[in-house]
Amino acid sequence: MLLALLILYVVTLVYLPITERFRNYTMIIAIQGWILLGIAMAKLHAVNLWEMLFVVTETLVFKALVVPYILLRTIRRTKINRIAASGKSQFNALVLSIAALTGSIAVTYYIADPTMDVVFFGAALYALLSGLILITVRRRIFSHMVGFLVLENGVFLFAMAVGVELPGLINIAILLDILISVLMLGVFLARISDSMKNMDTDALTSIKD
Amino acid sequence: MLLAYLILSVALAAGVLLTQEERLMKAICWLFYGLQAAGAAWVVSCGIGRTALGFFTFDPTGALFHCLLALVSPVAFGYGLWYLDREDHGRRRLYNGLVMLLCVALTGVYYSNNIAVTWILLEATTLCTAGIIYHRRDRRSLEATWKYIFVCSVGITISYLGVLLFGGLSHGADLSYEGLARSAATANPLFLRLAFLFIVTGYSCKLEVFPLYTIGVDANMAAPAPASALVSTALVNGGFVSVLRVYRVMEPTDAFAWAFGVLVVAGIISVLAGAMFLRRTNHYKRFLSYSTVENMGIVLIGLGLGGFAAVAAVLHAAGHTLIKSSLFLQMSRIGKSYGHYQVSRIGGYMNVNRPGAVVFLVLTLLLLGFPPSPLFLSEVVIFREMAADGRWVLLAATVLILCSVMYNFARNILRLCYNPVRTVPQAEKPGYRLLIPVLLLVVSAAALGVWQPEWLARLFGAMDITIFN
Repeated sequence: MLLALLILYVVTLVYLPITERFRNYTMIIAIQGWILLGIAMAKLHAVNLWEMLFVVTETLVFKALVVPYILLRTIRRTKINRIAASGKSQFNALVLSIAALTGSIAVTYYIADPTMDVVFFGAALYALLSGLILITVRRRIFSHMVGFLVLENGVFLFAMAVGVELPGLINIAILLDILISVLMLGVFLARISDSMKNMDTDALTSIKD
Repeated sequence: MLLAYLILSVALAAGVLLTQEERLMKAICWLFYGLQAAGAAWVVSCGIGRTALGFFTFDPTGALFHCLLALVSPVAFGYGLWYLDREDHGRRRLYNGLVMLLCVALTGVYYSNNIAVTWILLEATTLCTAGIIYHRRDRRSLEATWKYIFVCSVGITISYLGVLLFGGLSHGADLSYEGLARSAATANPLFLRLAFLFIVTGYSCKLEVFPLYTIGVDANMAAPAPASALVSTALVNGGFVSVLRVYRVMEPTDAFAWAFGVLVVAGIISVLAGAMFLRRTNHYKRFLSYSTVENMGIVLIGLGLGGFAAVAAVLHAAGHTLIKSSLFLQMSRIGKSYGHYQVSRIGGYMNVNRPGAVVFLVLTLLLLGFPPSPLFLSEVVIFREMAADGRWVLLAATVLILCSVMYNFARNILRLCYNPVRTVPQAEKPGYRLLIPVLLLVVSAAALGVWQPEWLARLFGAMDITIFN
């Protein structure tokens, strides 16, 4: 079950670089949220109400519902629905993504340590690299925000790979911090669309030496 | 005690954010900074070694940087009142409220004894700082704010990977730095290296060093100058303390020598980048920010050399806080007089405000490391350690780059004071009410270089034992 969910998760990551529409990005982020919910529930050691409540809040409410809602609202407000030009950018991103997948597998087998879950580590590494690829290859600011969210999901998997269970209070504070940053990113993205016609990173060059 | 401080501080910040009365807002702010100073004094006098709320320990390192924050923040607040005097009350109260929250979060960072709590509070500083950068509400501040939130969020996420790797050593059971140091002694060196690398890379956005230094420069450019005085010093110190604590975790491990190398490489690249852009930039606030990059690079080199150089790195960070905050505050006066910060269009400040210009020249000398600057002492110790270790190439490279820094810094500051320009503003009053607090910071900085009061010497002594036993 866990392996199937992880494979599905990796498939969503492979689909990311060839996506052209922002609505599809949002859908992928929402699907990743649901998959992470399934993974987290399957990984629960015992039925603990507090732990379950936190997992549901973090994955279902935050990753699968609130974040996609913020993204959809941003798309509606900015009225920009496609990444700039299609073709070359997607091809490069796909090649990079496949290279990242191969690299992740190689690194995972090189590191292979009994103290960590190797399969989770590989998937987390690929997610982290996919997020960074989106941020560096895509020019639209919205894609960068999606890249950041993919990065965050990768971190969630990474925590499972190294088997860290942080105290509840710290977990809540971390979740709140991330939620507020995503909200602020959404708000400022909308403001950028209000004040600048171009939503590409080229528009953000007024601060330089 | 800490809980009372936190509740009261957040309540005061909330009061500032909600109040409609200008005078009441000022009174609350002064009360807050008084509380901040009282808190720092209490820690130094009788709080060292105590633990509060389970996540915070009042140690000498935290106390030193808390004292610096308590010293610099009220001066920056006073300047803020003057600098933003023509703005509406709503914006001023938001600005002051956010600066207060930033100070609270930074105090937490300085004293945090838990790697996850440090991370949470550093992320909180991102949110407060973003609001401060967006103060002007114009296109440039919008761009700077977006970049700041985005890059800091990515940076902090990368550092979270390091937190998780360190946490994995004890399966999250004990995330205190002491507990991590115990677990790290027997951990896989590869994981320790990765964890350290993630944390230094992520926190570099706060520490304003390579690789994520650019974001701090942009933030300082867009934020009001009195806030830049805090962002470029107190916030940078927050990043420094966080890295310093992880550095201590690495101490008993086999990966420590490797961590030294990482710090030296990041440090020398930062010094080089700072020096290159000091020459290139045409904006005085960016100019001062690149100087921060260069100075924090020296701090990292000091840490990377270890021994006395690491103590000198702490002294360098402390001295830099007093001098750079004063420079930013003085720069705010120049910016307000001329209406901009363009290097090529500002000159003749000696004729506009002679006492202010003289203070600026003195600060420049102190920043460039002329005695009695504490930076002179720290740099001499760091160079001596380089020579003692036989790192002649590093020594030669650092000295050469610093010569270039001195030349470019002196050139631009002399241009600012003496160069004739087409439009010079009318001579302004010396404004001693603004100048005297900065003079106090200047005197404190100079004093730090030649003599330390007993309590400060005790703090440094305790740090020596605690950090580098």
